[in-house]
Amino acid sequence: MECVVQGIIETQHVEALETLLQGLCGAPKERVRVHELCLKSGPNLGVVPSEVRLLTVRHVGGAVRGAAAEQISVQVRQVTESKASNNVLRFFYALGYKLDHELLKVGFAFRLQRGAQITVTVTSAYKMPKLHSTDEAVPITPSIQLVEITAPAAADNYNEVVSAITSLCEHLAPLLHLSKPGVSTGIVPTAAAAAASLMLNSGGKTL
Amino acid sequence: MTVKCRTRGDAEQPDPGGGVRVRGGARRGQGRAVAHGHDVLPPHAARLLRAPADVPRDFLGLALHDRPDTYFFILRAHRLVLHADASIQAIMEKLQSYKARVVFNFEGFQYKLGDFRLRVGKCVPSMAETLRGIMMEVEYLPLSSIEKSRQILEEFFDIWQEALAKKSLPGHFIHIESNFADYGLQDHYTSQHTAVQYATCMAQLMAAVRS
Repeated sequence: MECVVQGIIETQHVEALETLLQGLCGAPKERVRVHELCLKSGPNLGVVPSEVRLLTVRHVGGAVRGAAAEQISVQVRQVTESKASNNVLRFFYALGYKLDHELLKVGFAFRLQRGAQITVTVTSAYKMPKLHSTDEAVPITPSIQLVEITAPAAADNYNEVVSAITSLCEHLAPLLHLSKPGVSTGIVPTAAAAAASLMLNSGGKTL
Repeated sequence: MTVKCRTRGDAEQPDPGGGVRVRGGARRGQGRAVAHGHDVLPPHAARLLRAPADVPRDFLGLALHDRPDTYFFILRAHRLVLHADASIQAIMEKLQSYKARVVFNFEGFQYKLGDFRLRVGKCVPSMAETLRGIMMEVEYLPLSSIEKSRQILEEFFDIWQEALAKKSLPGHFIHIESNFADYGLQDHYTSQHTAVQYATCMAQLMAAVRS
């Protein structure tokens, strides 16, 4: 299982976010460059809605439902990952799966230990004009980047993980609003001022 | 060693009997292999009838006892062997497109005979106690090159057959080559080669059982 929230931030404020995360994390950021291929099942493969992402094969299952889930602002969902040999795409094609879409995500990530092992990933999404042509990828929304916060969880501890993520979201609230995937949040009106303040205090470039 | 046959739709049920295969000894310990058969799981029969002819009806999954963190899927029709983390099984279960149909356990013992390591195991379905056959793995430890070790392994097999002939035991060992090049595998022997050999063995075993 994992807990996850997402939000968006204007590209011009990403540096401020990075500064804030650097302060919270205390460790260098990691580069992120992920070529994501999302497969869909064919008519012969059953009706379980599934999302298979390669090349670490990642299966994202359904979110926890119910009254308790409705009360929390973090999505809790089943996730299973498996590294696989580089013929895994051919394997799934052979079983009848089709490529639904592919994306290139480029950015950075910070890992924090704040009551849970949390990963904050900030990426731009790119589309490819030709199949698998990552070198020719173009940004889908140049001025907007996706921020995703995830943390592994288990059935007996996800409440603690939810609390840890919620607490982190509060720290980031002046810059961006984070919520469950699929719930539209938009840009927070305080982002520009918060970014300027952060950069001023950190000795970064003046906005 | 665990080999799972994942078959699709109405998989044939193997009958008692046995093909035996030599693969490729001081008694040191136990070895175990499990074979899983996977079926495609259509939501209803009509879907199976409309299933594309080029989609495999079945494929094999293999777990090696000395590599508990990894798993192999073998699509023989496509000459494809996938090597993945053991968690790939959980993903396939969640996808519900194929299901494990029949599971065979290869359980036995491991022996060390000079530079040779021998694993001899019974092939038994997990839900029954009927003996389907006996699998023997022969490994020549000083070499990892398949071509360089071919002659010495053949000589070992000839000696083995000669020794067995004097015992008047029922059944006989069969050595069937696996075409590793078809699977894109190189001369340097790896666990993927082992997976391909077990897949070949399983196919031969089930064909022998059906006939």
